[in-house]
Amino acid sequence: MVLIGRVINEGKAEGEAVVSQLPFSFLGDFEVSTGKIMTKGHDCEGQSIKGKIFIFPTGKGSTAGPNVAFIGKQLGTIPAGMILIEAEPVIAMVGIMNDIPMVHRLDKNPLQEIRTGDYVTLDAYTGKVLVTRR
Amino acid sequence: MKLTDEQKKMLDGVYGRGFQKAMSMLVKYGNAFGAEHFIRLDSGHIFATDPLEFVSHILEDVDEIRSVSTIHAAYPAETKWYRTMGIPAERGEHESKIHEKRVELLIKAGFLPVFTCAPYLTGNVLRKDAIFSWPGSSGIIIGNSLFGGRGNRDASPAALCSAITGFTPDMLLYKPANRRAEILVQLEGLDLDSFNEADFGALGYYIGSIAGTKNVAVIGPFSKGMAFENYKYFLSPMPVSGAVSLCHIVGITPEAPTLESLITQRKEIEKVKVGKTEVRNAYEKLHTAETNQVDAVLFGCPHCTISEIKKIVQLLAGTRVKEGVRLWVSTCQAIYDLSMKMGYKDIIERSGGRMFTDICIMNIPFHDLAPDVKTTATNSARAAHYHARGGVAGGLGVEVFYGSAEECIKAAVTGKWGG
Repeated sequence: MVLIGRVINEGKAEGEAVVSQLPFSFLGDFEVSTGKIMTKGHDCEGQSIKGKIFIFPTGKGSTAGPNVAFIGKQLGTIPAGMILIEAEPVIAMVGIMNDIPMVHRLDKNPLQEIRTGDYVTLDAYTGKVLVTRR
Repeated sequence: MKLTDEQKKMLDGVYGRGFQKAMSMLVKYGNAFGAEHFIRLDSGHIFATDPLEFVSHILEDVDEIRSVSTIHAAYPAETKWYRTMGIPAERGEHESKIHEKRVELLIKAGFLPVFTCAPYLTGNVLRKDAIFSWPGSSGIIIGNSLFGGRGNRDASPAALCSAITGFTPDMLLYKPANRRAEILVQLEGLDLDSFNEADFGALGYYIGSIAGTKNVAVIGPFSKGMAFENYKYFLSPMPVSGAVSLCHIVGITPEAPTLESLITQRKEIEKVKVGKTEVRNAYEKLHTAETNQVDAVLFGCPHCTISEIKKIVQLLAGTRVKEGVRLWVSTCQAIYDLSMKMGYKDIIERSGGRMFTDICIMNIPFHDLAPDVKTTATNSARAAHYHARGGVAGGLGVEVFYGSAEECIKAAVTGKWGG
């Protein structure tokens, strides 16, 4: 299956999908030392997004979020790529500042089309997302 | 995006690596949200907490930034006050050294070291339709809703790039069409003339929780002569209980003289009524303390105006803060200096309180102050929210007493809430 989106930050990435239905903040939801989502009651609580293709609806929370991801990049704990329904300014800057391949505004709803564990190839030059069911 | 010759020169590296990096990040940022061109930035503001490595990289070859831009408040451990606050010296020394290095670079490039979440107190002022890029959600909502400026929920690095280049992509809340109201809040049965700042904070906290990311329009009996501080406490909690960046107060917000000016014709808008029950509900969420022993009383979220400091002084008149209770008042250097000239600082200190500059009291590291400070009292809904959660990043929280300046000062003197 192929989805096409609008590019936020260029690049190529592939890997296993982690899909969350909740808005996400790198300041608060993300454990920077491990890459795990530690928020109690989060639909991906305990899962790691390190090196994964992280798929979620939008960003939220503190305007300092990109700086947390910057530390995560140095530690190697950030996602390999990100796919969102609709980014807001703070989460967009996470991708741009830290050079994470990232797209949003896709032609189909990625939260419905992609499941956690699927293999995703993201071409964030053309905006093309290739999904292989697992 | 369509770039002018000057913007192309920046992108091509004619002005050096810093301008090039900043412009290339802004082009991506604009393209992501469908911006077609850049607009001139009228007012900038940045965090001093961006990673040192990133700051030195993006300021490479930048002799002078191309905007008027101020610097935000710092974490308590980063400032000269860490000893006075009781933060362990080892951590304070380490963090304040890194902070100093970043600040040195920023000042050299032309950023103004006012260290406040309230740049409007220091001469970085907005007017109707002024284009601003400020991180810090209280400044964003106040700038948009009270001063009539136009600002997005920009992350700190985005604001830094805009401040350096003097340009920002024309998108989102810069465009009038995106500033229409998306949820209409009708206040019912509330006597706003009798409201204190904590009542306004509770009201704003409730509105934020139902609005999420939507642009709000609120209709209620706001009197024309209402003090700025009441609006400050009303607006500043909306981005913490929700993610609101713009709240039109009909009749007060410069671009919202009437409700009709805010609503897209023929589009159904979500309508909500808010009254006493909702305000009580917010108080219950903000006031989490179950005992009545107050360990610390904190003012200055957002940073205190001179009127607030005068009021604290008047409330303290002739009394003393209870032994063992911390009374902390936070503001920016300019207001601190004014307080000194007026004798206010002396009165606060002689009563047993302290005044601080530059720090964000929302982010007090309670783990460093444990076990002495297990409860705080504040008149700020924004601070109350974060104190219970141990700061913006999350951490060891405290039990919170939430109420007006009168109630807070009384608690500082007696050591008991309501006592």
